[in-house]
Amino acid sequence: MIGIEHFIVVSAILFVLGVLGIFLNRKNIIVILMAIELILLAVNINLVAFSAFLGDLTGQIFAMFVLTVAAGEAAIGLAILVIYFRSRGTIAVQDANRMKG
Amino acid sequence: MVDLSQYLPILIFLGIALALSCLFVFLPMGVSRLTGSHNPTAEKLSEYECGFPAFEDPRSQFDVNFYLIAILFIIFDLEAAFLFPWAVSLDLTGWPGWITMMIFLFELIVGFAYAWKKGALEWE
Amino acid sequence: MLQTIAFYLFATLVVASAVMVIMSRNPVHSVLWLILSFFNAAGLMVLVGAEFIAMLLVIVYVGAVAVLFLFVVMMLDIDFASMRAGFVRNAPLGIAIALVLLAELVLGIGAYRAGALILGTPDGTAAPLLFESNIESIGALLYSRYLFLFESAGIILLVAMIGAIVLTHRERPAAHRRAHQDIGKQVRRNPKEATFNASPEIGKGIDL
Repeated sequence: MIGIEHFIVVSAILFVLGVLGIFLNRKNIIVILMAIELILLAVNINLVAFSAFLGDLTGQIFAMFVLTVAAGEAAIGLAILVIYFRSRGTIAVQDANRMKG
Repeated sequence: MVDLSQYLPILIFLGIALALSCLFVFLPMGVSRLTGSHNPTAEKLSEYECGFPAFEDPRSQFDVNFYLIAILFIIFDLEAAFLFPWAVSLDLTGWPGWITMMIFLFELIVGFAYAWKKGALEWE
Repeated sequence: MLQTIAFYLFATLVVASAVMVIMSRNPVHSVLWLILSFFNAAGLMVLVGAEFIAMLLVIVYVGAVAVLFLFVVMMLDIDFASMRAGFVRNAPLGIAIALVLLAELVLGIGAYRAGALILGTPDGTAAPLLFESNIESIGALLYSRYLFLFESAGIILLVAMIGAIVLTHRERPAAHRRAHQDIGKQVRRNPKEATFNASPEIGKGIDL
């Protein structure tokens, strides 16, 4: 029978894969953003699984807010990416040194 | 407890779709592998006689207008998603729920007016 | 039994496609794997009865965020081969850290099951109000108890919208802009005002 632990393990694996994606693709900022989306997805799975497990709908409502914030974050992050590319001609992370003192 | 049995047809449909798509993909591959002779050479794999190798990646850059319209689509998409639970539970939440949603819509209308005023929606 | 099979199907696919998201060489493929991952996560959420969140995941992520990612990936003309240069060098450290993190998380679950801690139990105020559908219960809770949070979500959306416009919208220089079209003016125009007759003398023009 599927219990809460199964969902938490799936969510933990997804979370760790997101962190690993940030480590592995340090040069590609688009894949870093996707890895952040994976981390937020893991959080959402956790919230929804606990919401169903505890019989408390608050988890699902907070999953909605996490989705909202994630969409806003993706939008603003990609907007920053677009203007960065427009001014520098590249999106490599290690070139982002304009603010260095 | 949730009644998951209403999702059973979808699951069955999903299984049938998966099986059929696997069949359509792997059956021709297997048949051609088993019946045809398979010995590729560099000459055979090169471009056809009057063609020439590609110069560059076929993807080209889009205009950034597409991006702004997509971003506004996301925001209004989420707004519409928030409207669904409001609509079905309006008899339970009553006037406070109605006023809440009107404030929410007003916030987004302010953003929409700003986008319109800045000309972000205009096609160039 | 069927639920168990469905759970393992969705869980396997979500993990496998998440692996492909971070391992595939081409960011366009990464986006497509991310879409598959979100679809299967939505399946997982349907399994525990969170139907509305599953719908939201499909609509918002698959419909919008993934399309946005695709736009940006295709819009920026990037040399993808050079972006992957540090992959092999970073891999051992990254995998080691990921394994440690995973071990910590799983051990945490084990410790919770061992009964060492007693976490809070729901006090019943936010319990499902036992309506017919998941979406109705969410609506009843969201628009009464979490009303201010909902309004601040609206503010977040507003800020995201204005921020994106401010960041990426640039005014075209006036020379390149098309002449402004005033439809009302066009419609108001009639033949009497638009034309006039003149009989100029020979050898002289007319002033317009």
